[in-house]
Amino acid sequence: MRFKGFQRFQRFLGFLVLASGIATPAFAHHSAAGIDRSKTVMLVGTVKQFGWQNPHSWMEVDVPNEAGVVTTWKVEMTSPAFLIRAGWKATTVKPGDKVTVKVFPLRDGDPGGLFQSVTLADGSTLTERAGAPRSSP
Amino acid sequence: MKFVAAAAMAMLAAVAGHAQDLGVLAPANLTKTRPKPTIDITGTWFIDLGFPGSWRFGPPYPKLTPEAQKHFDAARKAQTEGKVYRDDIGQCWPAGVPLIMTRVWSISMVQLPTVVYMISGFMNSLRVINLDGRPHTDPDLIVRTFNGDSIGRFEGDALVIDTIGFVDHHHWIDSGIPASDALHIVERVRLVDGGKKMQIEYTMTDPKSWEGEWKVTKQWNRVDSRDMEIAEVECLPDLNSHIPSTQSKENVR
Repeated sequence: MRFKGFQRFQRFLGFLVLASGIATPAFAHHSAAGIDRSKTVMLVGTVKQFGWQNPHSWMEVDVPNEAGVVTTWKVEMTSPAFLIRAGWKATTVKPGDKVTVKVFPLRDGDPGGLFQSVTLADGSTLTERAGAPRSSP
Repeated sequence: MKFVAAAAMAMLAAVAGHAQDLGVLAPANLTKTRPKPTIDITGTWFIDLGFPGSWRFGPPYPKLTPEAQKHFDAARKAQTEGKVYRDDIGQCWPAGVPLIMTRVWSISMVQLPTVVYMISGFMNSLRVINLDGRPHTDPDLIVRTFNGDSIGRFEGDALVIDTIGFVDHHHWIDSGIPASDALHIVERVRLVDGGKKMQIEYTMTDPKSWEGEWKVTKQWNRVDSRDMEIAEVECLPDLNSHIPSTQSKENVR
């Protein structure tokens, strides 16, 4: 499968997730039905940990509220193979980085969600989608 | 004392007997004269998401048994409520055959004269299909698994795989449709489009879960590029601590 084929495949996956009521991500190791895709949450905070691993990468982000109380959000991401095609490296984010992470939140209200994009300190933005190259600040 | 000696002799004889059954990688088995395989499915394959049905086995679904219907109804109810039903894969249970074949991960297949090894990129699930003419494992000895006990033979342009010996728990065909220890799957594997695609026609029976035969055909694309190779992927004990949706209170256990 060449790169363009992979992009078509990703678009098809996106269609499947939107079209499927049960939202079973066969590419994930679990169902993501617990994710509320009708909402988006912007997490402005600091990377606590970044896991570059199979089958999922993940990120923990410390997010302070207006009172300065910090909540750690758990963000689930796709596999490194997908992220590499979207321009990621294992070193793209590291603990201590200031980031803004856009997620679909959990339905149950716990501080966690499914990754959509990250905006780094230099203003560039990365998603999980191939064909969505890193935007310039 | 004589009884003990006789028992020991019998045990040694049994071990010796087993030793005569060659393993699939034994040179004497690999080089044994046998008909030439009509197809070779060695390669890396990726489920064809443009093929009808792609990564699910229904609908349509067969008529379910009352017990299976309870699961099916509960899964549909969870679905309408935006919840997930018995997400065992998310809790690191193996997907198992046939579901493992339709995960959106590459599958590498290595065909030798005596065996096909399938390794899914998804959790590195190993499936062994014996081609050396052996029957299914003795029912009194079989170790039930999620991928089952598979034996294959060539019929015309197809590799026909017969699989039994599945576990009877945490194993689903589709969400809400349980597989039982009575599951029996016959797969007819064919290469099409000059070997660029692989099709498998599934004929599945499981009298504990549905009536009659459930037939489905799936297709995979050959993927030769390095970035589609399988990699080491495990469901480690700490994985889900970082994946919040697997621990959602909304999940139906």
